[in-house]
Amino acid sequence: MARWSRFRRFFGAEPKTDVDAELAFHLEMRARELVDAGVAPDRARELALQRFGDYDGPRKQCVAITTRRERRMARIEYLHELRQDVGYALRMLRRAPGFTLVALTTLALGIGANSAIFSVVHGVLLAPLPYRDADRLYRVTTLYPDGTPYSLSPPDFMSVREQTRTFEQVEAFTDGIYTMLGAGEPREVRGTGVSDGFFTLLGLPVAVGRGFLPAENQPGRDRIAVLDHAFWQRQFGGDPTVVGRTITVAGTPLEIVGVLAEGARLQNDTDLYRPITYDDTFSAATARGRRGEFLFVVGRATPGTTLARIDADLKRIGTQLQSSFRGTNDGLTFNATTLNDVIVGDVRTPLLVLLGAVGFVLLVACANVANLLLARASARRSELAVRSALGAGRVRLVRQLLTEAVVLGGVGAAIGVAIAYGATRALVAAEPANIPRLREVGVNGVVVAFTFAIGISTSVLFGILPALQFSGKRLPSALRDSTRSGTGGGQRMRSTLVVAEMALAVVLLIGAGLLIRSFVQMTRVDPGFRPEQALSFRVTLQGEKYRKDEAARLRAAEFEDRLRALPGVTTVATTSLLPLSGRGAMVGFAVVGAPPPPPNVNAEIAMASITPDYFRAINTPLRRGRFFTAHDQTEAPRVVIVNEAAVRRWFADRDPIGSHVDINGVEREVVGLVGDVLQRNPADPVAPMVFAPYAQRTTRSLRIVVRTAGDPSALTTAIRGEIRAIDADLAITDIRPLRQLVVRSLSTPRFYTSLLTLFAGVGLVLATTGVFGVMSYAVAQRTREISIRMALGALPGDVLRMIVGRAIGLAAIGAVVGVATALLLGRFIQGQLFGVSLLDPATIGIVPLVLGASAALASFVPARRATRFDPASALRE
Amino acid sequence: MPPAPGPDILRGTLDLLILKALSWGPAHGYAVARWIQQATGDALAVGEGSLYPALHRLEEREWIAASWGTSENNRQAKYYALTRRGRAQLRIEADNWRRYAAAVFAALDAPALQG
Repeated sequence: MARWSRFRRFFGAEPKTDVDAELAFHLEMRARELVDAGVAPDRARELALQRFGDYDGPRKQCVAITTRRERRMARIEYLHELRQDVGYALRMLRRAPGFTLVALTTLALGIGANSAIFSVVHGVLLAPLPYRDADRLYRVTTLYPDGTPYSLSPPDFMSVREQTRTFEQVEAFTDGIYTMLGAGEPREVRGTGVSDGFFTLLGLPVAVGRGFLPAENQPGRDRIAVLDHAFWQRQFGGDPTVVGRTITVAGTPLEIVGVLAEGARLQNDTDLYRPITYDDTFSAATARGRRGEFLFVVGRATPGTTLARIDADLKRIGTQLQSSFRGTNDGLTFNATTLNDVIVGDVRTPLLVLLGAVGFVLLVACANVANLLLARASARRSELAVRSALGAGRVRLVRQLLTEAVVLGGVGAAIGVAIAYGATRALVAAEPANIPRLREVGVNGVVVAFTFAIGISTSVLFGILPALQFSGKRLPSALRDSTRSGTGGGQRMRSTLVVAEMALAVVLLIGAGLLIRSFVQMTRVDPGFRPEQALSFRVTLQGEKYRKDEAARLRAAEFEDRLRALPGVTTVATTSLLPLSGRGAMVGFAVVGAPPPPPNVNAEIAMASITPDYFRAINTPLRRGRFFTAHDQTEAPRVVIVNEAAVRRWFADRDPIGSHVDINGVEREVVGLVGDVLQRNPADPVAPMVFAPYAQRTTRSLRIVVRTAGDPSALTTAIRGEIRAIDADLAITDIRPLRQLVVRSLSTPRFYTSLLTLFAGVGLVLATTGVFGVMSYAVAQRTREISIRMALGALPGDVLRMIVGRAIGLAAIGAVVGVATALLLGRFIQGQLFGVSLLDPATIGIVPLVLGASAALASFVPARRATRFDPASALRE
Repeated sequence: MPPAPGPDILRGTLDLLILKALSWGPAHGYAVARWIQQATGDALAVGEGSLYPALHRLEEREWIAASWGTSENNRQAKYYALTRRGRAQLRIEADNWRRYAAAVFAALDAPALQG
């Protein structure tokens, strides 16, 4: 009886009607008893009610208790059935190990890849920056009339700080590379100077010791440093007694006062922080130093302030400074960008493209698994029919099929998390160039939740088709159906899936194809120098003994002489800036005698210092004039060499050789013209540049290039020895073949191209497997039809053509849909293309051919099988 | 949801009486009411209604189980039967009640405290 009552609710029992019936029965029995005892019926009813007492209260209580009970029963029953379904699903999966292995591998790889890319997207793009009120942080830049943003000068920074109405705090930092002494070997460190409230602005906590005090930016009190946590671990082994020790940075002794907490850092790999020294240019009142822009300024807006209001506020300050400081601030204003955009803006689209691509791979994987399930469901028609005949409801059957899919998806997601864990670590270790915040990337709770969410949602996606196919059919008739006859509907659904996955594969292939073509184009760009058989390294001359230019010049000459004497060395030269290492210092520039450019044009040019043999060392051709010689001494007439970009930009109709140019107010004669050398990467156009003799423009930061007759790496130890012998206090950094500069300049496109190619390859393999599966199934289903055709005289070639032709037909539809989709989505990778257009005929032409060939190949095997059918035995079946 | 005991009967006592009423076999609510009426000298004279929330609560605790059946006069009626747990509970509660009653009786007969 108890079990029966549990199922009563299926017949629509309602707690309310149940209770009413029960209470009515009571009253009726009582009344009847009274009538039997001789009371008049009306009076009996009245007495029964009276005896019953309060009616509504107990009734309400009964309904409440019963409803509660029913719900609990329903829940228990649901869990019970779920356990049954899951158990059944696991048994089914175990019983078909081949299917399970293929489906799980496909899913786990698809889900794992998504999870890995998502963990990067989450860590880099989605997670808030690890700073206090990160959503209110903005970078403030100086805006030149031609729209170029620059850093801020100290007086402009102080003015913005003083006059802002939209920021509650404005701070600044500036960074550089310095030599550190006093802690083992001399080494180069990245030092960041910070303004007085910088740590509080970002909310960077200190783990050991203390941070900086507001007064410590004053000259004389600024000789202190706070270490980055990772640097502290690396360099000082995490020793807390380091606080109080003195190190020498850039020739200045600094006392270590504290260490930042783990994870508290800027995004520029700073090793140590020190206060910016507030000299007299740190004043909102001065005109001096207004155009010396080197401060990266960050402000925290007051809550609820929009970017538009901030920009208006900054514009107001800019306009005000224009009138107060004529001559220095003409035409200049300021603007703001969210700090988040500054840090991750450049990688947003490429990363989202990767996430989209890997999502497509998962969709292809889903289509494959859906196809597998459809094929299996067909094979299980009899089993399902039997279960239905035995009383399993249609809803229950659909639910059970879906449960099987979700179990697959769940297990796939669990394996996917493991894959993602490994893949993410590999990705982070690969340090794809220019992806910020990589150290914050990892498989965390959000990533795991995402993984299971896609596991479950995709399983519903691929599970719903087979489930619906069955719910739409009258199952008992399936029991009667012969298992041999194919079902048209199922075949159509499978074909649609295959077309869809081929279309997705085409989109991936076109994307990958375009990136590969771009990459090839980039590698074909002439770097302007010959990196083979040369190496370079960096030495920075810091400290008291190099305070005088003369001392630095003598030292640089000494390096060159000693290195030139090494066996195998052919050329040695020094520069302040290597190829593919940026544009270097920007200096004011004008051609003497040329009409002055309009005032809102940025009249600046990149500048580097070189010793006479530099262009011979990197092997860059001289176009006209001459290279520098030993005669271009400090006291000799001032000379420069220009690159071709400078000629295009500044010497439209004049001969550059012999012209005079004005560089930061100093007149120099142009004596040579050299070929353009890449400055950033092959896709970045070469900017105008001038080179001055090192003797006439002496820097402390030296990049020494050594060209050799043989393998340059063999000289590494000898080079180190020579430099150390000259001055043991100098740090030798980045000693590596020049070739590395070229490799590194391509690392960003290489990273995105390889990943997208990998995804496209996986997509193609999966789609091909899909074609294979569907054609095999179709052949198996049509055994009888094919046999009849062959019995009636069809040749094996006809059968082969028929089946392969059908696969190619599907591929053709997939290709058309895919190409159309790719063109629609093209704008997302537009920014990553170089030297190819979205409509690149080679890519769009080749991809469908690849797809067609894979489809033909995939259908060939089942087609061959069909031609070997023995008509007699097939017909006898 | 405070329990609403009958005016003349404590709630725990009502539970005990219901369990006892069902100890002779399944019965519908009215039969339980009738038994209590006769066995207690009509303790529930007014407020028979409070019997039903008590029945439902006991069902929720799975001390009794309910099912619909046909009554002696051919009507659909909800029958309650004691479950195994209900039977055990009846023993415990009856013992408790006896001990409690004995204690109260003993107290009523006790002499005044000395000193």
